[in-house]
Amino acid sequence: MLLVMGAYATASGQQLSDTLRLKEVEVKASFPVNNMGFKRVRLDSTILIPRLDANLGTILAQYSTIFIKSYGNNNLATPSFRGTTAHHTIVEWNGITINSPMLGQIDLSQLPVAQFQGVEILYGASGLSRTSGAFGGIINLKTTPDWNNRLHVILSQTIASFHNYTTTLNAEVGNGNLQSHTRFNFGTGNNDFPFYNDYTGQTEKLINGAYTQYGFSEDIFAKIKNQHLISGRIWYNYSTREIPPLNTNVNPDHIENQTDKSLRSLVEYKYIHRNLSVTVSSALINDYLHYINDSINAKHQYYSFTNRIRVNLTRIGKLTIQPGLDLIHDWVNSDAYSNQKQRNVLGGFVELIYSASPAVTLSVLARAEVVDGLLMPFIPAIGVEFKPFRKINLSLSANLSRNYRYPSLNDLYWETWGNPELLPEISYGAEGGITWNWLNRSRSLFLETELTGYYMLLQDMIVWSPSSTSSAIWIPENVSEVTARGVETGINSAIVFWKSNLDLNITYNYCKSTYQKEINPNGSSVGKQLIYTPIHTMNASMRFERNGYFFSYLFNYIGRRYLGKDNTEYMPGYNLSNLFFGKSIQLKDFMLSLQLEINNLFDLDYQSIAYRPMPGRNFAITIRGGFSRKSSH
Amino acid sequence: MIYFVIQKSVGINTNVSRFTFQFSTLVIGVLIFVITSCSKDPIRPTTDPVDPPPGDSVTYSEGFFIVNEGNFNWGNASVTYVDYSTGTAHQHIFQQANNRPLGDVAQSMKVMNNRGYIIVNASNRIEVVDLINFKLIKSIEGFNSPRYIEFIDSTKAYVTNLYKDISVIDLTTLTITKTIQIPEWTEGMVRYNKFMFITCIGSFTQPSSKRKAKLLILDTKEDYIVDSIQTATEPVAIVIDKKLKLWVLCSGGWDGFSAPMLIRVNPDLKQVEKAFSFPSNETPSRLSINPTGDTIYYMQNGIFQMPVTAPSLPTQPLISSDDHLFYGMAVHPIDGTIYASDAIDYVQDGMAFQFSSSTGTQIRAWKTGRIPGSFCFGETRNPKTIE
Repeated sequence: MLLVMGAYATASGQQLSDTLRLKEVEVKASFPVNNMGFKRVRLDSTILIPRLDANLGTILAQYSTIFIKSYGNNNLATPSFRGTTAHHTIVEWNGITINSPMLGQIDLSQLPVAQFQGVEILYGASGLSRTSGAFGGIINLKTTPDWNNRLHVILSQTIASFHNYTTTLNAEVGNGNLQSHTRFNFGTGNNDFPFYNDYTGQTEKLINGAYTQYGFSEDIFAKIKNQHLISGRIWYNYSTREIPPLNTNVNPDHIENQTDKSLRSLVEYKYIHRNLSVTVSSALINDYLHYINDSINAKHQYYSFTNRIRVNLTRIGKLTIQPGLDLIHDWVNSDAYSNQKQRNVLGGFVELIYSASPAVTLSVLARAEVVDGLLMPFIPAIGVEFKPFRKINLSLSANLSRNYRYPSLNDLYWETWGNPELLPEISYGAEGGITWNWLNRSRSLFLETELTGYYMLLQDMIVWSPSSTSSAIWIPENVSEVTARGVETGINSAIVFWKSNLDLNITYNYCKSTYQKEINPNGSSVGKQLIYTPIHTMNASMRFERNGYFFSYLFNYIGRRYLGKDNTEYMPGYNLSNLFFGKSIQLKDFMLSLQLEINNLFDLDYQSIAYRPMPGRNFAITIRGGFSRKSSH
Repeated sequence: MIYFVIQKSVGINTNVSRFTFQFSTLVIGVLIFVITSCSKDPIRPTTDPVDPPPGDSVTYSEGFFIVNEGNFNWGNASVTYVDYSTGTAHQHIFQQANNRPLGDVAQSMKVMNNRGYIIVNASNRIEVVDLINFKLIKSIEGFNSPRYIEFIDSTKAYVTNLYKDISVIDLTTLTITKTIQIPEWTEGMVRYNKFMFITCIGSFTQPSSKRKAKLLILDTKEDYIVDSIQTATEPVAIVIDKKLKLWVLCSGGWDGFSAPMLIRVNPDLKQVEKAFSFPSNETPSRLSINPTGDTIYYMQNGIFQMPVTAPSLPTQPLISSDDHLFYGMAVHPIDGTIYASDAIDYVQDGMAFQFSSSTGTQIRAWKTGRIPGSFCFGETRNPKTIE
């Protein structure tokens, strides 16, 4: 991905991560060369700060190889990671799973960028040290303290087309031992954009698309003698939104809306002593969802209590040992369940990392879990990293793994139709990759590239389909099988010349994910691509800055997506272009910037999901003010 | 993570500039290629034509229609036309003739005076098309989730709805002229003398165990409900036999609380005369009667055949469901063959089949659109229902 950004200036200005005059150059790799054989990628504040008004779904769609299936601005957005379904991507908040145990997935539109500092993406098997079930991977939203920070504030206001407004505040204050982060976001909008409706043959304005969302979070970090790290976090998010109708359902009285409230809290203690570190964390998540339409009025509430212990023991000879223990208790009160449902998970794992030589690192992982008293399939993984050259940053890595996913509580307990007999889904994966980066001698050019190939076999996939006793009753069953294979590649470059910075980034993703099993002999889905899963996706971006002026161009290509398992009907491929430009002014510790954003630059008339209109060319103006002071040492 | 911090200030480097230029050219070249290689046409659901388009020579009066519901909230309903003589299936004929989608969940279709009435449930419309070319004559709006249409004569029809009322349509102006208030889900209709017998499932918003099911008796001259007859849970379909007895299939509801039933109603006495119970774990659906009115057919996974004089429900299906996921079923009103559809897994295009009514063997098969739910065999009336 795109992270190689050049150039942030003076020590005090750097944290603003905005566009400042450059004196020194800083280069960050987004494709880490040291990965123990398991692929990870980072999106940091360089990308996020100019997008404080956006949500995680938008950011991933524009900057990652994860395909995001979006119903439109601030409406349901779910990931398809490496050709898997939304259930196979786990979103974490500082290492704690925040997917709903009811749905097994999470709506990425409800995660505002203003509420986290960076995004860490763990591909495939690299998430196994965190949790099971993430066949595609893990997206971790991270916030970490900067102990040199004394005061750092960013306030931003965005005014966008279609009566959309976003306000965000980020205040970080503290000293070398104590840091506090306070974040606030407020967004509201009508989303009443015009679109051409083929069904009515008229240009209409989207109806029932308004939303209000706000959130508040507080993170406190304390450090005692570089030996004890204590943190406490709390994050409240509220969202109420109308859900626009399909554009073939023209009823002006359309009623459909959803309110979500979530309160997430996490306390963590980390003890560090020489080559040992122990981390104990405990999180409580309370999530409430209320959905209303013409015939349904349903409330769902779940609690998730997660406890984790992680131990890291390094330099035992050439060995690093990382054992861990997870204890999770979920409970749900839902109008869709006959009574309260619970789930208890006890998981243990150990990861061994062996540095056979400076060039070769081996990593072995084993995880075992007990869910509601039942022993789950054993999860093993093995990874190897090979760096053949001492002076060239080139690494080859490979891994093999097995994983399982426990059925969601809806799959098991949905009233009348849930299926308590469901088995876990199983995946087998193999992956190999090469990563390289290079900095020229004058240190004005940084290049990195990455190429990964993967193969995954997913068995006993849970699909809701008509039961054997009646076509009117739909139940979930372990009936499907999918093979996903693909290639991910990216090239990033950062160049400094003519007192300017230029970054160019391209990622391309090929993903062939096919149905392997047909239940009905009249079907023709075997070997066909999964619905709403593009085979080709590409992102490219260019960022240029000089003298406080900045200019970014983002390009996304999304290939053909099929609408049926037989692949006869499809949405054609399309590309979108977005433009940002503006000017930043730095006055001592103060920063002020003004940014104009043009989305869908070429005014493409498109639908991402069939008969769900998307906006044409639209604009946003953001004004950002900030203050930053660091310790003077 | 690698993290370089470079302390050196940087000047212009010709090698770098040259590289930059070349690299930029490459990137811009790739971008231009991708931008221009993509079409600027609106991005909409697309199907590459596999069947020959009907063309101008085809009229839609020499075949039958398969109404493909499509997935609820996906907007992918469609109509398939099959020509009797050639046996060719033409897909998406509404979209092709009118250059726009049919809408969301096409429930049923009937024909009157060379006009097709396609009831599009979730789009809340009836699309009235000319059967010569399938071009739209008018979209009738203002329903409350319409289900089925039944004609009284060439000027008047009734439409059942999921909510609120039964709509009265003027077929000359193609407008709703009146509504008959029924705050519940009305479904199947059969005409007997001057009365329309209408199955009423109960309140749609309630779970099926709490719904109060009945048969409504509507006076078609005065447009009011004169009486009702209590039935078993979820009366989903109704037919009339040669002895002018009504048969009502009650699916029992989808939550397994009450047993499904097939009941026989005497329309003159307004009484249930006979009731056949199914095992409570079954959910029979679809009910049809042969042209001579002496044999009824219903679907319970497989397709069952039952003479109207039978003392009990058949135990073996005429057509087994072994290789199918049957979804729709209808008996041809003239030749009496059985038409059934297979929705496969509801997420791909389906199939339709014609079976012999004597042996149950398959005669022909066709590809359809998504979730083929019902059949329309042109302008045919059951002679028994005519005054």
